[in-house]
Amino acid sequence: MINDQDILATLEMLKVEHLDVRTVTLGISLFDCASDDPDRFMARIREKISGLAAPLVQVCAEVGEKYGIPVVNKRIAVSPLAVAGAPFSAPGFVRIAEALDRTAREVGVDFIGGFSALVEKGFSRGDRALIESLPEALSLTERLCASVNVASTRAGINMDAVYLMGRTIKAAAAASAGADGIACAKLCVFANIPQDIPFMAGAYLGVGEPDAVINIGVSGPGVVKRAIDRARAVEPGLDLGRLSELIKRTAFKVTRAGELIGREVAERLGVPFGVVDLSLAPTPDVGDSVGEIFQSLGLQAIGVPGSTALLALLNDAVKKGGAFASSYVGGLSGAFIPVSEDSNIAEAARSGLLSLEKLEAMTSVCSVGLDMVALPGDVSAETLAAIIADEMAIGVVNKKTTAARLIPVPGKRAGEKAFFGGLLGEATIMPVNGANGDPTFIRLGGRIPAPTQSLVN
Amino acid sequence: MEKAIISVLGTDRPGIMAAISRTLSDNGCNIEDVSQTILQTEFAGVVIVSLPEAAALDGIEAALDRALRPMGLSTFARPLDKSVPPAPTAASQPFIVTTMGADRIGLIAGISEVMAAFGANIVNLKAIFRGGEDPRRNTMIYEVDVPVDTDPAAFRKALHARAEELGLALSLQHRNIFDALHRI
Repeated sequence: MINDQDILATLEMLKVEHLDVRTVTLGISLFDCASDDPDRFMARIREKISGLAAPLVQVCAEVGEKYGIPVVNKRIAVSPLAVAGAPFSAPGFVRIAEALDRTAREVGVDFIGGFSALVEKGFSRGDRALIESLPEALSLTERLCASVNVASTRAGINMDAVYLMGRTIKAAAAASAGADGIACAKLCVFANIPQDIPFMAGAYLGVGEPDAVINIGVSGPGVVKRAIDRARAVEPGLDLGRLSELIKRTAFKVTRAGELIGREVAERLGVPFGVVDLSLAPTPDVGDSVGEIFQSLGLQAIGVPGSTALLALLNDAVKKGGAFASSYVGGLSGAFIPVSEDSNIAEAARSGLLSLEKLEAMTSVCSVGLDMVALPGDVSAETLAAIIADEMAIGVVNKKTTAARLIPVPGKRAGEKAFFGGLLGEATIMPVNGANGDPTFIRLGGRIPAPTQSLVN
Repeated sequence: MEKAIISVLGTDRPGIMAAISRTLSDNGCNIEDVSQTILQTEFAGVVIVSLPEAAALDGIEAALDRALRPMGLSTFARPLDKSVPPAPTAASQPFIVTTMGADRIGLIAGISEVMAAFGANIVNLKAIFRGGEDPRRNTMIYEVDVPVDTDPAAFRKALHARAEELGLALSLQHRNIFDALHRI
């Protein structure tokens, strides 16, 4: 007999605390679709994706219902298109982007990721063409997500790529100016990108991955917050060591739910199970926020002094609990602090308690980076590139993933609001110090060498 | 070897299980299974014993009655009937059904009737009705074995429809989710 209190506690996690599986992401390799004829390539990828992904949405609904835990997002991650579609030019990539978007709609998934290039050490022809296509590709499509890895601990930072991405983000914002630059919300610049991220916009299927695989992204900031609130109400004197233990135990439960559902979806689809990504992923809903956890632990808001230490504790406890709960852990695995996607973090940015600089500091101890940050539309390409370079340096030196998803909102200034809709949320535009300063450093280009941390052999 | 099933009911107090088990062992009975619970103030115990050779169950029941009646307890014993084969058990999957909602007459009858109609067997049930608005004080938790050939959507729909008629919030979840979350 299962303990009654455990049953009731589980129901409360589901009904009140937003416990869900944030994403089931089906990875699909496109390497066997290769062709130098774009029409043939598009026909093959459509056939392959449709064949594998057709039952995905229905299976996720059935499995979610069986266990009473909803699967919020169903997604697809494909091989990096800059490799799979290497022979094509930029206009060819735009057509491929539209074909992927159509296919995603046909099979009913929320997003399809993998419109990606890996350029940490240099560009191939396909990489350049894909990046050139990004502004048009991302503004003509709805469900397509793109990522570009410009740095790694092993390779250093490709500053030519960083600068190119600064210019590309500006162009993507201009191409979607009527929608507050939403094309940029589907574009992530990475250092040390993992090959198995289930979360968007960074999901793609790495070259060492199987032909098809199911990866899971869990959720659970609401569950963690409520566990902290309940424990502190009963025992206000709980210290951080014991609160860390509580978060660990909570992360264990959240991860177990994700793994159970992921394994069953994989089995029903007849594809291998890959990893659980142990990330605390917020949504704009109240009660489903990472920012609220900061307040539950006694800070005025995310961004005030103490925030980096708190986030370090949170991130560590989530990993420890999750690692014990799952046999295969991967992806980003940590806490997300996406500004517009978390209404509490967005409010901290609006009130000025959270600055761009503090956000950057916090990314040195969590799993992502400057995520969904709305910036003034007039910030220069060089300054955008410099912000990206700083974020990449944190990842490269600390041997971790960092990313930048920056949206320079066309025609809007710091303090105004940008609206992206749905899961992407809305945010107040954050000011940038020296937004149009000296561009010389970025224009120097070249590659910042890999740090000594890379010499591990 | 002959077996018997014995039940004991009465107001709870310390020493009931000691008295039952001492009497049984003094009479040469070996306890094979025992389960006891307390509902509000009342004790309920069920024991399956193997009887010694040529022992009369009547004599054992009388011995239990002598020991337990002064404690305010009632005893009932009957032999396990080996001539009746157990009901055939179809392959099944374990589910947990939980309901919350204000107390009224007929809640368990209403829900268990739907389960019976689908051939789902209740293997454990705990229900607490304390009145008032707090759903945690008015809950039913059923562990049910649902035959594998049951149409899951139809079963779910029927349970939810009945719960709605009864003013209950109902969840139907495969048992594995609770094992996954709460067991290492």
